[in-house]
Amino acid sequence: MTPDRGEAGSPAVMVLAHGVGERGDLPIPMFYAYAGAFAALVVSFLALGLLWADSRFRGDRAGRVVAVRVPARPARVVALVAAVHTLGWLVLGPVTGNAGPYLVYVLFWVGLVPASLLLGPVWRAANPFRLLPDRARRTYPRRLGYHPAAAGLLAFTWMELAAPEPAAPLTLLIFFGLYAAAQLAGTLRYGHAWLERGDPFEVYSTLIGHLSPLGRRADGTRVLRNPFDGLDAVRPAPGLAATVCVLLGSTAYDGFSTTPAWVDALQSGPLGRVGLGTLGLLAAVAGVALLYAACLGAAGLIGGTSGLSGRFAHSLVPIAVGYLIAHYFSLLVIEGRHAIILALGLDAGVDRDVLSPAAIATVQVLAIVLGHVAGVVAAHDRSVRLLPPARAVAGQIPLFVLMICYTTGGLTLLLA
Amino acid sequence: MRAVRTLVCGPVFVPVFVPVSVLVFVVVAGCGPLSATHRDPGNGHEVATGTPSGQAEVAITIARGRVSPPPGWLEVGRGQRVGITVTSDVADEVHVHGYDLAAGLRPGVPATLRFTADLTGVFEVETHGSELVLTQLAVR
Repeated sequence: MTPDRGEAGSPAVMVLAHGVGERGDLPIPMFYAYAGAFAALVVSFLALGLLWADSRFRGDRAGRVVAVRVPARPARVVALVAAVHTLGWLVLGPVTGNAGPYLVYVLFWVGLVPASLLLGPVWRAANPFRLLPDRARRTYPRRLGYHPAAAGLLAFTWMELAAPEPAAPLTLLIFFGLYAAAQLAGTLRYGHAWLERGDPFEVYSTLIGHLSPLGRRADGTRVLRNPFDGLDAVRPAPGLAATVCVLLGSTAYDGFSTTPAWVDALQSGPLGRVGLGTLGLLAAVAGVALLYAACLGAAGLIGGTSGLSGRFAHSLVPIAVGYLIAHYFSLLVIEGRHAIILALGLDAGVDRDVLSPAAIATVQVLAIVLGHVAGVVAAHDRSVRLLPPARAVAGQIPLFVLMICYTTGGLTLLLA
Repeated sequence: MRAVRTLVCGPVFVPVFVPVSVLVFVVVAGCGPLSATHRDPGNGHEVATGTPSGQAEVAITIARGRVSPPPGWLEVGRGQRVGITVTSDVADEVHVHGYDLAAGLRPGVPATLRFTADLTGVFEVETHGSELVLTQLAVR
């Protein structure tokens, strides 16, 4: 049979075998990549010599007080209703055209990035688990830090990128069943302190939210502040660097996993799709983390200061956000509409042609390069605060090498 | 952003910058970024694209779960006609993502999907039963 327009009329063939993306982005033009890499290099070295000599970011003491009151309880009830609605789709929805996976992967996971960038830690404000009473039976162990969140984010990205059926309702139900059990147990034992460090989505949204102009001081006062002050207010804790490395590594693996050579290896290699996919994801995260550890070790040696590792992790947050925007911007714009159409049962088609390739490429390169610039500025300010003045500039060189590697790596993935 | 403000002994570091930036370029080149080897013409499907306005044709065979030629990259211009012929050794269905085109596959019988590539982006062409990616259609 050789149907000319295929069986385009039959909408029944929509099995979501590989996540929810129906289309991927074209490789960016080589010129964009070189221009981006060049800009990143120039800015890094200018920053080294030209930026301020004394730390000027004031973290959670900065900002102008704004009188905004967010009704937390209603927001959490609305989020709970939305979560139940999504669960309803996953449990009862049809096999084809099920809105559940789109709601989870597109509107929730990717949508949290712009929402948090604009409004701050939105998932903290809307987290339904915060409806539970904040009665801690034990104090949250300090050394646990962000490790539970890093593990949760790795589990979520594994499901998204390496699981056998990432978009099957059953896969999502198993994940969210385990997630809910962990959050319930953690909250009952440690109170809301657990959610702040252990809920992967709250940590993800809060970290990105540090780049928002809206923030809170240490005492909870809402302020309008320079995003760099917000970024400076990220409290170093064990596992913070690991969390950021999971975000960077998993996004990088997502870009890498569609390259033809990797696709071929996944489906014809001896390890099988899940085995090799898992290895690839872990290798990407480990690679990002090793590079981080090596460069911070070098910075510590040059700067003559030990224990720097967690104290520069905040400067990778904008780089990770740049990666996330570069990889998921078009998905959010195109499939986000699809998610809304499916979830509300609207009688509308999805226009997959709303963004021109040039517009997508421009956003991608700008996101990576601006993330890099913000990371460099944040790292510079932290270096002049932590390192002895005579060594502060030289001590930053390994950090800039690190960021340039991440940035050129990110741009290279956009060429793939 | 008020980034570039105070001049902290800028010129003094010029001798440092040059070797360091050379070093960074070496590191960067050594990491192998900014190359697109996996998309070199030899790694994609050998497509008889002809003139840009002509038709892009590709023939793919699936035997015992193996795709031949191996899944590559089928690059076409927007508006170009595309013909994808698939022969599978088992009954299956081939699907072009994004375009939402599908054709049933009977064992050993070639099936051809013909359409005009009018959406830009990268779209997977895959089978539903065996869940194999046959190629990625890149429309510029």
